[in-house]
Amino acid sequence: LQMVADSILAVNGARAQGCAVRTQNTTAVLALSNILRSSLGPLGQDKMLVDDTGDVIVTNDGATIIQNLQVVHPAATVIAELAKLQDEECGDGTTSVILLAADLLSRAEQLAQSKIHPSTIVAGYRLAAKEATKYLKECLSIEASEIGESALHNPAKTSMGSKIIGPYSDIFSSLVVEATKLVKVVDAATGKTTFPIKAINVLKAHGKSASESFLVQGYALNCTVAAQGMPLSIKDAKIAIIDFSLQKAKMHLGISVVVMDPAKLEAIRREEMNIVKNRVKKILAAGANVILTSGGIDDLCLKMLTEAGVMGVRRCKKADLKRIAKATGATMLSSLANLEGEENFDASQLGCADEVVQQRMSDDELILIRGTKGRTAASIVLRGANEMMLDEMERSVHDSLCVVSRVLESGRLVAGGGAVEAALNVYLESFANTLSSREQLAVAEFAQALLVIPKTLAANAARDSTDLVAKLRAFHNKALQNPELSHLKWAGLDLEKGEVRDNKEAGILEPAMSKVKAIKFATEAAITILRIDDLIKLEKVEQGGRAGQCG
Amino acid sequence: QGSKMMGAGGQPIIVLSQGTKRESGHQVQIGNITACKTIADVIRTSLGPRAMLKMLMDPMGGIVMTNDGNAILREITVKHPAAKSMIDIARTQDEETGDGTTSVIVLAGEVMSQAQQFLEQKIHPTIIIQAYRAALEDAIKLAEEKFSRSIDVNNDEEIKTVVRSCLGTKMISKWMDLAVDIALNAVKTIRVDKGGVNEIDIKRYCRIEKIPGGTIEDCKVIKGVILNKDVVHAKMRRRIENPRVVLLDCNLEYKKGESQTSLEIVREEDISKILEQEEIAIRKQCDEIIALKPDLVFTEKGVSDLAQHFLLKAGITVLRRLKKTDNNRLARVCNARIVNDTCDLREDDIGTGAELFEITKIGDEYYTYVTSSKTTACTVCLRGPSKDVINEVERNLQDALHVVRNVMLNPRLVPGGGALEMALAHALVEKGKSIEGVRQFPYKAVARSLEVIPRTLVQNCGGSTIRQLTALRAKHAQSADNWTWGIDGCSGKLVDMKELGIWDPLSVRIQVLKTAVETSVMLLRIDDIVSGTKKSSGGDGPVKEMPM
Repeated sequence: LQMVADSILAVNGARAQGCAVRTQNTTAVLALSNILRSSLGPLGQDKMLVDDTGDVIVTNDGATIIQNLQVVHPAATVIAELAKLQDEECGDGTTSVILLAADLLSRAEQLAQSKIHPSTIVAGYRLAAKEATKYLKECLSIEASEIGESALHNPAKTSMGSKIIGPYSDIFSSLVVEATKLVKVVDAATGKTTFPIKAINVLKAHGKSASESFLVQGYALNCTVAAQGMPLSIKDAKIAIIDFSLQKAKMHLGISVVVMDPAKLEAIRREEMNIVKNRVKKILAAGANVILTSGGIDDLCLKMLTEAGVMGVRRCKKADLKRIAKATGATMLSSLANLEGEENFDASQLGCADEVVQQRMSDDELILIRGTKGRTAASIVLRGANEMMLDEMERSVHDSLCVVSRVLESGRLVAGGGAVEAALNVYLESFANTLSSREQLAVAEFAQALLVIPKTLAANAARDSTDLVAKLRAFHNKALQNPELSHLKWAGLDLEKGEVRDNKEAGILEPAMSKVKAIKFATEAAITILRIDDLIKLEKVEQGGRAGQCG
Repeated sequence: QGSKMMGAGGQPIIVLSQGTKRESGHQVQIGNITACKTIADVIRTSLGPRAMLKMLMDPMGGIVMTNDGNAILREITVKHPAAKSMIDIARTQDEETGDGTTSVIVLAGEVMSQAQQFLEQKIHPTIIIQAYRAALEDAIKLAEEKFSRSIDVNNDEEIKTVVRSCLGTKMISKWMDLAVDIALNAVKTIRVDKGGVNEIDIKRYCRIEKIPGGTIEDCKVIKGVILNKDVVHAKMRRRIENPRVVLLDCNLEYKKGESQTSLEIVREEDISKILEQEEIAIRKQCDEIIALKPDLVFTEKGVSDLAQHFLLKAGITVLRRLKKTDNNRLARVCNARIVNDTCDLREDDIGTGAELFEITKIGDEYYTYVTSSKTTACTVCLRGPSKDVINEVERNLQDALHVVRNVMLNPRLVPGGGALEMALAHALVEKGKSIEGVRQFPYKAVARSLEVIPRTLVQNCGGSTIRQLTALRAKHAQSADNWTWGIDGCSGKLVDMKELGIWDPLSVRIQVLKTAVETSVMLLRIDDIVSGTKKSSGGDGPVKEMPM
């Protein structure tokens, strides 16, 4: 039959169908999840990724690992995309979402092997996911306000727990919470509060130890003033942000000016200088005393700026400038031209800040912009033993920032350490028993799949996972059966000691939103792959001529 | 059911790109530890006063002779990712404190190798890590509170002791007093009090000028700037007292504009007109300079013959093609402002801070000295028999300068000669006894690995390692007052560091501990190495499948 199909397609390629495809896809996804498995949880381990040029990344972050692996299998790429999605939406929980998707898939595969139609499984999974998220939202989440201040610190600590900064979580969680609070923005129109964590600049400087990382109120720029004579500190700064070079005006390449009168030559030379001088004069006239540019500043202009006592900073990163512009209320200008074709610089385009200073930090110097007028800004300066460590710290801090801002925005938390998963497992199992259709099987398997999180957590901590998970489920069963014992639904794993404890009390908390999203995304990804029953891989045309070899 | 053949038929399913190689589990951990030990072994013999130099040849045939940990490792190319991170920490140490690069590597190697036994006993890496970190925190606290003393930064004698113990391990130790004086003088010169905070910027304001020839005794600190330059015109004055200085960063010659311009000449007289115009332009520039009556003009760019002529006539000495950094330093010495365009020149741009301008001939070359007793920029002039020797002296001196800076910024000292490490080791072992559970073993292992510093010191001077080390251990155990006892790196005997006067800055030793332990912690967390991951382009790697 397949041979016929091949000839119909009339192109060279391989084709796999039915059960084989599902087996293949499941194996591929499992292979990927096995790579990540050992990095889950507070006792998870890191991966070292070496790329072909020999650069090294040490990381524990699922999304980073997946991004740096060259995933080629089509089903595995779906899962890789899933990690990216979770990273973008929640910033955290990438490893668990992949583990969950892989387990869902492998269980579905087993069901399919026993001749249950994939569409039934899909329907069952959909139902289970819906029921699970509903139950999670209604019964398993805690209002953040209920717990008070620690509602912010604890989720941050939980997210850091598995990372390299875990042991310093006290220091870092307060850094992260402070930083997030600093960038709070209230939308005047809708009254909605948002926490754009992108406004938090994370800088890395090696030296000292990780515990000496600190928070800077204001925006820190990894640049220095352009000339020595410039002031190193300016109070009541008026900041001009420009996106062009303050250099001698120059014609584009290939344009040549032909003149007949020798005197004109000198005139051209003078004019080149005057154009830029006038620009600087216009900016200075508007009252600017700090100029930040993404381009260069000519020696010619440096002198003018130095004389005027203005701080000039060149070669700033454009992304930094954009954020500074937002924070200070300045307008980032790509040219001085206005609609009339004239060049002018208006004072309203300047941004304000209380202070701009250059400060020394280890071997480097930073420019700090403090007390910005528009929005508040925050910067976290990370210290650590070497580059790789700093990179990993940056990723971990970013994850925690995401978590804190999610908590602040949505305000709902769930207990971590496998508590939610175990509770959902118990709930879904009893829910499955109420179904009289074929979906019952799929829902039950879905419930089982959720247990992959506590199981892996226990396994990574070198604990007896079967034993622990059984205990955990017993607790949750009690909580479900007996309304008086409902506090037991916060039971989760204590991996240090290898026992079950109340994780709400212990402060192991995660934002509810990221759990809900994780379940949804994992289910969707599993379903996407599950629905595939045919895989056609076309060979490259120029490599043709090997037709009929497959199958 | 033709399709079934594929799955069951054992055709490999390719998940990762075919260039990827993956190692995981125990193998990786052991591999990382071995890599760290290897790196540590390379420079083990460079620790202490009996340190040996390494001679390194780079692919171009150049030679580096040094015992500076960072300089050695910088030249070594390694492949193993863990080894790379070891090399990185030597750099961090160098940037942060400038000294202790060898110790940090030796210690990190030892801390890593101590972890191996626990991994083999199947203790979870995170447990080891927690214990390591607890030990680090305790060690830092102990070092800060118990095993250090503070000194008076204004007491030269005390600071000299510190510099002496730093240089004791270096090649320059034969010229100890000279080097100590140089380092101290240089740092004192560039120290600027900025609103209560001492600013000591060695990188920018303390330049080391290397002049081959002469003897090392001729090295000295010049309060001012030395330039390897001569005047542009032989007739210009070579010695001026209290010169008026103009600093420029523009050409004193006729230069075309930035835009591409071409001139078409149709009339004969235009040629002379152009030439005349160029002359006028230069003349104008020179007149603007001359109007201010300077004695000296420095420029970063070129000076044309014509400009030389005009300026010579006005009795002005000109030097050209300076480096930007030199010009900045000159600005600091002369209190001048660097001017870009001669038409912007004003009276207050002129520097009058310099006291003496002089050009002397050393060996074959001319050197310009611009000095002032009040300046805050200095140049260390190094002399020596060969370039390689001077290079090593420079590295030694850099370390010494940093030591002085560190002490001035954080005036606390710890005993050297392995005494601090031994004292910490002893205290940590005692403390470790009260720790519950498995964690106490890795905790004590950190303590034991600290002993690597005194041990290596004994080893390097050919002493009896076991005897001396046990004796030292006993000494520390006897009484808490014996915390200053360490190894005399020259004789291998036990000495009280108070008597020998070997003291290191606290900041350096603490940074050594922090960097070494934190790096080991990072490396111990790794259980998987995936190599050949993507670098955007991708697809060019060799082909390998990942059979499931």
